Amino acid sequence: MTPLGWIFLVVSLSFVWGLTGWCFYKVLTVKEEIERPPDSLGG
Amino acid sequence: MSQKSTHEQWGTRLGVILAVSGSAVGLGNFLRFPGQAAANGGGAFMIPYFCALLLVGIPIGWAEWTMGRYGGRKGFHSAPSILGVFGGGSVSRYLGIIGVLIPLAVSFYYTYIEAWCLGYFWHYVTGGIGVDSAAPIAEQTARASQFYANFTGRGENGVLAAGSVETFVFWSITFAVNIWLVFRGISKGIEKFVSYAMPLMAVCALIVLARVLTLGTPDPSLPEQNVVNGLGYMWNPDFSALGNAQTWLAAAGQIFFSLSVGFGVIINYASYMRKKDDVVLSGITASATNELFEVGFGGLITITAAFVFLGTANMIGAVQGGTFGLGFQTLPVVFAHMGAWGNIIGAIFFLMLFLAAITSSISMYQPSLAFFQEALGWSRKNATSFMVSICILGSFLVMYFSRDGIFWSTIDDWVGTFLIFVLAMIQIICFSWIFGIERGMREAHHGAQLHIPHFYRFIMKYVTPTYLLAVFVAFCWQNLGAWLRSVADEPLRQGAVGLIVATAALLVVCTWFGEKRWRSAGLDVDGRLPAEE
Repeated sequence: MTPLGWIFLVVSLSFVWGLTGWCFYKVLTVKEEIERPPDSLGG
Repeated sequence: MSQKSTHEQWGTRLGVILAVSGSAVGLGNFLRFPGQAAANGGGAFMIPYFCALLLVGIPIGWAEWTMGRYGGRKGFHSAPSILGVFGGGSVSRYLGIIGVLIPLAVSFYYTYIEAWCLGYFWHYVTGGIGVDSAAPIAEQTARASQFYANFTGRGENGVLAAGSVETFVFWSITFAVNIWLVFRGISKGIEKFVSYAMPLMAVCALIVLARVLTLGTPDPSLPEQNVVNGLGYMWNPDFSALGNAQTWLAAAGQIFFSLSVGFGVIINYASYMRKKDDVVLSGITASATNELFEVGFGGLITITAAFVFLGTANMIGAVQGGTFGLGFQTLPVVFAHMGAWGNIIGAIFFLMLFLAAITSSISMYQPSLAFFQEALGWSRKNATSFMVSICILGSFLVMYFSRDGIFWSTIDDWVGTFLIFVLAMIQIICFSWIFGIERGMREAHHGAQLHIPHFYRFIMKYVTPTYLLAVFVAFCWQNLGAWLRSVADEPLRQGAVGLIVATAALLVVCTWFGEKRWRSAGLDVDGRLPAEE
């Protein structure tokens, strides 16, 4: 494993773990609005 | 003609995110991605890969989420009806049939492959598949390949004729579970299942990852075959690959197929969202979750484990074996070398693959179920029966014509690959050009906690379609001629194409009935009116 290999590995993993963690933090901490469902035609 | 107000909706925002993530995370995350990366520049592959994520994957995802939610507010839940609204007429409505055809036709063979995962899981729970780690590597590989050929019916047409009745049993179980989950509905079936399946899949991935990263140097006589060098095989960058168009094409293709954009699923799932549910945050969270499984787990597990036990010499064959060769022929050899841990890790690995597959397959049934309900005005029960009949017919053909996987791989080529490009192009053009990028962005930001950066208007209108078109043209240049010749030469491929055409024709007829029905019900089928606020 070369130093550049480590850099690509660490940066890529940091990016995906960081992005996912931040997204789920936002999803779980923002309050959802509860609404009445709209009428729909089937489905 | 009866109108059925089913009021189907997701129970929570997390539910729809997990459902879309589950749809996106599949076998390709753990098996296809590492093979593509290792063969196309290693760590350097991540540069075009992340470019494609930011310029193609995420923008098309946002467009699909937005179109789905908007269509749902108008009472529509399928790609033909929703694209009719966004494209402003019958042309886009009939092109939208592709958004039902893709998940329906892919489901014909996907549950079959899913059944392999379940079958392998069962075999590892009950003692493995008979690979002897004391035998020479070539013999072990031959044993794993023989088991794979017998189990999947690759040797001759008819998986039953090939002597593997159990494959059919596992397919029956898999199919029944899928249909039962979908029939239970969006919230009680799909959402409830993914809320358990996704965390369980993550736990399985973590266990396998922990085992792989602690393998060290299993054979002291081969010190170069260690975990760090295994990671190096996958991640050491080869910058010369960046000058090769094939690398950029492979990266864009991987992102594209991995995220489930252009598949007809997101547009259907998003149509069950409430009108102020956040599509921007949901879209990027689902994409990020997919990337976590792909890069965070897939990028560390498969190639590393294979390298540690097989060494550089055998890795070339393993990588060239593609998704299924790597998963079902190479990794069983690797598990056999893990000693007492082998069967446990093998069982957990194939359970993880099965969960990845089933969370994807349930998403393939819902779009056609919704389409039959809204186009034909049928109850969920009748629409399910109709869809199940079609799927059983399609799956039986796939299982009967099992020789060398020619039949199902033809469907995968034309529907699971070619038509996905086409649908993604149609969607981004409908969203950015016909509906209008400014109007589309306003719609996307209803209820959004995040703001899409302003420059994404330019990206979604110009860069994404151009990028997509360039990749599509290059893809066709590389593959289309050979594909057409292979269809002309092989009767099994002609049969597969016939099945696709027949399914598409059925969907055209249903859309014709649906359009009449929607117009007589007074629905805004051509998107002339603003959606209710």
